[in-house]
Amino acid sequence: MAETTPVGRNYSMFDADLSGAVLNMHLLSRLMRWMKPYRMTFAVSGVLILFASTLQVLLPVIISLVVIDHIIQGETKHLAPDLGMIDATEWIAEMVGIHPMWAACVLYAALQIGWAFFGHAHRLTLISSVINGLRDLRLDLFKHLETRPSSFYDRVAVGRVMTRVTNDIEALYELLRGMGTLIGEFVPFFVALAIMLSIDVDLTLMLLLALPLMGTVTYYFRRATRKLFRLVRQTLSSLNQNMQENLAGLQVVQLSERQAINMRRYTKINEENLHHELHTSRWETLYGAFNDTIVHIAIGVVLYYGAGAVIQDQMSLGSVILFTRFIDMLFHPIVVLGEQTNILFRAMASGERIFQALDWDEKIHEPDAPATLPQRLAGEVQFKNLNFAYDQDVPILHDVTFTIRAGEKLAIVGPTGSGKSTLIRLLGRFYDFADNQIFLDGIDLNRIHTHDLRTRIGVVLQDFHIFSGTIYDNIALGDTTITLAMAIDAARRVNAHGFISELPNGYDTQLSERGQNLSQGQRQLLAFARVLAADPEILVLDEATASIDTETELLIQDALRKLTAGRTSILIAHRLQTIQEADRVLVLHNGRVEELGTHEELLANQGVYYTLHSLQFQEADAKA
Amino acid sequence: MLKSLYRLRAFVGRYKFRLTVGIVAFGFARFFEALVPFFLAIGIDRIAAGESDVMMPVIGIGATVIARYVIVTFARYNVRRVGLLVAFDLRQALYGALQFQGAKFFSKYTIGDMMTRAVADISIIQRLIAMGSILFIILVYATVFGFGFMLYYSPSLTLLLLPPLPFVFFYARWSARKMFVASKDVQDRLSDLGAHVQENLSGIRTIQAMVQEDNEIARFSRTNQSYADAFYQQAQINSQMMAWMPSLAALCSITILGYGGFLVLDGEMQPGAFVAFFMYVNMVVQPFRVAGFIINMFQRAAVASDRLFEVLDLNPEITDQPSGATPAVIGGDIEFRELSFRYDEDRPLALENINLTIKRGESISIMGRIGAGKTTLLKQLVRILDTPKGCVFVDGHDVNDYPLAQLRSQIAMVPQDPFLFGEPLKDNLTYDEPTREIEQIWEAANSADLRDTIEQFPEQMDTIVGERGVTLSGGQKQRATLARGFIREAPVLVLDDCFSSVDTETEEHILSELKRLRRGQTTILVSHRVSTARHSDRIVVIDSGKIAEVGSHDELIASGGFYAELERIQREGADESDYEGFLGAPS
Repeated sequence: MAETTPVGRNYSMFDADLSGAVLNMHLLSRLMRWMKPYRMTFAVSGVLILFASTLQVLLPVIISLVVIDHIIQGETKHLAPDLGMIDATEWIAEMVGIHPMWAACVLYAALQIGWAFFGHAHRLTLISSVINGLRDLRLDLFKHLETRPSSFYDRVAVGRVMTRVTNDIEALYELLRGMGTLIGEFVPFFVALAIMLSIDVDLTLMLLLALPLMGTVTYYFRRATRKLFRLVRQTLSSLNQNMQENLAGLQVVQLSERQAINMRRYTKINEENLHHELHTSRWETLYGAFNDTIVHIAIGVVLYYGAGAVIQDQMSLGSVILFTRFIDMLFHPIVVLGEQTNILFRAMASGERIFQALDWDEKIHEPDAPATLPQRLAGEVQFKNLNFAYDQDVPILHDVTFTIRAGEKLAIVGPTGSGKSTLIRLLGRFYDFADNQIFLDGIDLNRIHTHDLRTRIGVVLQDFHIFSGTIYDNIALGDTTITLAMAIDAARRVNAHGFISELPNGYDTQLSERGQNLSQGQRQLLAFARVLAADPEILVLDEATASIDTETELLIQDALRKLTAGRTSILIAHRLQTIQEADRVLVLHNGRVEELGTHEELLANQGVYYTLHSLQFQEADAKA
Repeated sequence: MLKSLYRLRAFVGRYKFRLTVGIVAFGFARFFEALVPFFLAIGIDRIAAGESDVMMPVIGIGATVIARYVIVTFARYNVRRVGLLVAFDLRQALYGALQFQGAKFFSKYTIGDMMTRAVADISIIQRLIAMGSILFIILVYATVFGFGFMLYYSPSLTLLLLPPLPFVFFYARWSARKMFVASKDVQDRLSDLGAHVQENLSGIRTIQAMVQEDNEIARFSRTNQSYADAFYQQAQINSQMMAWMPSLAALCSITILGYGGFLVLDGEMQPGAFVAFFMYVNMVVQPFRVAGFIINMFQRAAVASDRLFEVLDLNPEITDQPSGATPAVIGGDIEFRELSFRYDEDRPLALENINLTIKRGESISIMGRIGAGKTTLLKQLVRILDTPKGCVFVDGHDVNDYPLAQLRSQIAMVPQDPFLFGEPLKDNLTYDEPTREIEQIWEAANSADLRDTIEQFPEQMDTIVGERGVTLSGGQKQRATLARGFIREAPVLVLDDCFSSVDTETEEHILSELKRLRRGQTTILVSHRVSTARHSDRIVVIDSGKIAEVGSHDELIASGGFYAELERIQREGADESDYEGFLGAPS
């Protein structure tokens, strides 16, 4: 089924309306829906950061206003708000009976411990609420994608859908991690700013002037390097791709004596990458020391202004020192903000893509009152004037009418594009079609819930999907009524027991998805065992086209015989033997039923089947 | 560890001068940085003394800062540049070394492993040179200048600051290790998650057909949860570090506060020095905080270096030592003489005493079970495996005596796996010689029955194939590689099971083209189908590394051996007795 794509891929849904805004309030409010269950933790985290930041800001206050001004200088004018730190120091000194200097040390230690504790608690609560919210979002997104119908996956490339679940959610993790850092920077910023303003408004404003300068420089730096980073990434990924491909095709490279040409090509990309790297590096080093420089210059400014203010009794010596200690707290957030803008930008786009994916609502329609199926269906399938098109302009099936009797084995043949695969897709209701066209034991297929229907139809496709898990898991597929003994029995009957028992852990052998550790023939036998164990009333098989070695081929043919015995079977057949063993053969051509009858009847007819047969199987048949 | 890093000298040595300049410049930069607290102290002391003239220290700070900016930028750029250049050279060397590896190499290493070396290991070494050396140098200078100035102000206070530093160091080292493990865990879980989604969505049709959606969602929920857990674990370690580090460093601040405070009170130290001490202690604590990280970095770089040199030290697997006495153009007579071959000392013989002569212009089919040694035999001809001396002859000369390039260009082998590069089709078809005319490429495509397929693509011959372009079916890929073989018009053409995914009708067409194109030239092909083999002049059946049957189609049918049995089964289909007779007892 996966082999042909019924309709062309359409990427318009991927690119629809990304607003590209840095701050998209609608998006944030939608995101908040997933954070809601964890809002209490989130709120606690907010309170904790307030405590932590206040304590953090009080530390330099002790050094400058308590120790230098109060204890050393004996300052009595209290030109700066000490937030009760002087009283606290004196109170400790008196209570314990020590010199105020030691009391200041005790207070300093206490504040430091408090800061560390509240900070830690803040970060843990914040991160846990965020992680839980995003975990839920990711799961919901996965659930949503898991239940989109086949028609959806016909139109999209798996890779592009997948990145929504991986990269895009990851970008939100990054964003929230960054936001955590920003909160940790900005709350102390405002607390410090308040104290500074209360000491000296002019000096504070003067220092604040540096912020737009730093912001602008950072912004332009980020903008200039964003493009460069992209070039670096692009060249780096083509470097890797080139090497990967060279290794994967090394045999062809050596057989074609291409080593020298390939080396030249690789060198060219490597040089290109180096060029961009160096260019980026020049910018980065120019910017790298810029912020430190501004901080140092600001220290000079504080010193110059402070000297005048102290003489005029507007500021105390301690306040001047306090200012020099606060400069970092004042400037650092803007630097971090600059670092975070790229992440923010990316995360907004990712958020939009995630919600866009959650809004994809394509689905198969389920009946309002699904029919209840009997314990065991007889298995008669009736197609009645079936017309179908994936795309309105290109009809695939025209007026298809035929009946498969219960227990009958029907082979469908026809050239590529004749509608064979479509027919079996519709039988599993992987696409919507009009009512009263297909009947299962006389019940309109559209009245049966897809889950009920699909458990009654066993499907073996050309690409057998192997699920992560053991061999046994792959046979039972979560059906707890299938015991290990039953699984072994099923495997034995379809000739799979032989290779399974040779595996290191037999039925407990872990399989990787896509089943790389099994050969194609083994995977097919395993798929047979899976169907036999589930014992569905109807079997649908899309026979593999690739030729396998004769021994495995024999095992598969034999297994197929057992699988179809007494079961309504629809086989899209490519092998002569499969066709010959079928009860009847249906020839599809351009979406119409061209012929229907036994192999011998159709050959005698000398119609389409006769021609197809003589073309495809001439070799083997000529001698029959 | 040092021994491993020392091996990098060959790569770093080329940029010795630039690196030295950078390192010396860093020393100056750090010195200027240390002057900032020095001038600030002068300013504070002047204010404390009631003076208002602080011009000198303010200008001092300004001048120092500007000088530092210029020097630091210069130094950083130089060191980073060295890192980038070394990474460039390492990539070139690695790519060059890999070009000449073969089967032995791939039995030991996977492509994924090589890519990790090419991407992650080289980037670790680059970071070590760029960041690691910067950090290392800065920290050495920071400690020297920081302690230097502190000793100048107060030796006794400086000595009192020493005890907390080892604690900072050991805690930092311990948490750096924990952090490394936790980050790796997060990365692993993340890639698990990616793989899970990718594989799940690729199989979505089967999942839905088998009604496995709920099971799969439950399974994803576990993968998702384990990623969230790992992420929280890492965040927790990180947060602990953010709480403990400043707390340990605060031990120093409290020492300055207590002891230094009394020194100032007693008039033994100026307030300026008191303030400067806080800044210098920062300068000194910082190295101890990141020391763990740097040690970690050096250790990882040592491992990375070992892993890279493991590959760089490899010799080419197949040696090219032409005797000079071989003909310039190969005619096409081939002889295998008592050829035995094993892949590894401890593995059984893959080929045993093969004797076979193929005359120029003959067409040969090789048949046999999977693993019988068909491919191994063919690879000896073009020395994709290390062909033993004196066993395989082309035009009477040992294949080991031919120049490798000549051998591989005049004996065209199309391997079993239809590998196409992610490039335009025309570049794929004419991979060995990119300058061929487009008509010639179309002709080869035509012979391989690929013309109609290509004409359906809007980009025609310029269609890019593979992940980034059009995905071809197995049969289309095989036909493309066949065209790649045909186009070379080589004296000998070797096709290793190149029809398995091509349908019988198309195969007939290609085989008749093959007959036409290869008239008078040697052609060898491997097949599972009797319908393919019967066209050949002779058929060779190989079983367990030995030649079991040789002869024409009619001869082998008449002799009633393996080939005749195969012919009957493929013609009539198998019956019950075949499972016992042909395959052994059914399982």
